[in-house]
Formats: sequence, C-alpha cells, structure tokens
Amino acid sequence: MVVWASAWLRERLRKRAIRTLFCRHKAYRTPQGRSIRLLCEWLSPEQRTQFARHGYFDFVGGETGSLYRIYAAASMNVVLLDQRKKENRGLCFLPMGELPVGDVMLAQKLALENCEPEALAVARHFMPRAFSLRPPNFGG
Amino acid sequence: MAVQIVMDHTGDSRHTFDPNDAKQLAEAERRFRELTGAGFTAAVRTAGGDSSQARSFDPTAEETLFFPRLVGG
Repeated sequence: MVVWASAWLRERLRKRAIRTLFCRHKAYRTPQGRSIRLLCEWLSPEQRTQFARHGYFDFVGGETGSLYRIYAAASMNVVLLDQRKKENRGLCFLPMGELPVGDVMLAQKLALENCEPEALAVARHFMPRAFSLRPPNFGG
Repeated sequence: MAVQIVMDHTGDSRHTFDPNDAKQLAEAERRFRELTGAGFTAAVRTAGGDSSQARSFDPTAEETLFFPRLVGG
C-alpha cells in the first residue's frame, strides 16, 4: 500500500512538474512573459521573493538613498516610501515606446538606481492612496 | 560570449558577440554608440548583482541592457 502510494505521489509530482514547465515555456514565448523573465533575472534573490509574494519589490535610489517600491503595472506604479516603509508619494514615469510590463518595471528600477535625478526630473507626482495592485505569482 | 539586450515591443532583442573577435567587438561597439545616441540608457550588471550605468562601451561587460528614454506618465 505504501509502495503504491509513493509511486502514485511521484507520478503526480512528475506530471505537475511537466505541466509547470510547459506553462512557463509557453508564457516565456510571449512579450509579457519574456519581459517578466528579464525583470526577474535582474532582480536580487530577495527582490524576486518579495515580487513573487506581494506583487512588488523595494530598492534604494542610487543618488539620494531613498527607498522606492515598484508595483506590477506599467504606469502609476512607482512609489517613494518613507522611513517606516509607508507609501509617501507616487511617481509616474516610463520608458518611451510600447514595452511590455516587465520591461517598463525594469527600466524604472534601473533608472532610479543609476540615473535617479533624470528619472525624478521627468516623473509626475500623484497620491498613492488608490493602490490596490497585488497580482500574485508574477515572479514565479 | 557576451550579450547586448535591447528592450523592445517583443520583450527584448538579444545580440550575442565574441569579445575576442575584433569584427564582432567593433559591431557591438557600433551598436552601443547607435543606441545610446538614440537616447537609450545602457546598464550593466556587476559581479555583486547590482547594476551600474555604462556611459561608454565596455568590451569586458558580459551583459549590457539598453532601455529607452524616460518620459513622464
């Protein structure tokens, strides 16, 4: 009985792994999927975990040392956090062109890390009270 | 092999090149100048996992990512 159950469990796990692999492969063939994969490649392990769990990731601005949070969206998704990690001010800026969401988020992160003054100069501000973006499992 | 990744509507376009091949290296440098001249920002990943902006072509960079000019939303 135990042997049968063990074999059944192994087979079930094997099928699930194959199904996951196919789903990911199919997703990575789309622009959105490819952009999310690129984003995850450029996140730190901690940021990847945070993104997968919460649908956002935090990082430090390269010039000011301010703490930022980027949500999984293509606009009005960048927030400046205060010292208690409360959302303080929204920043709306994005790269030119029709880019999939993962590319937009990665460009926003790299810009604030490496050319923060330029990003802040073009960003429009908004009140981040209406945030309700919490898409699950983006980070896989 | 090194790679230059350019963000575009398909997600990204990847251009691999052999840094030890003078012809391929020259082509990579030409691409770098062309993209940064068109307003793209180049970023490279450091060994520690952080990123830094590449203001000039670095023939030793294994992975360079180009993202378009930023605009206010």
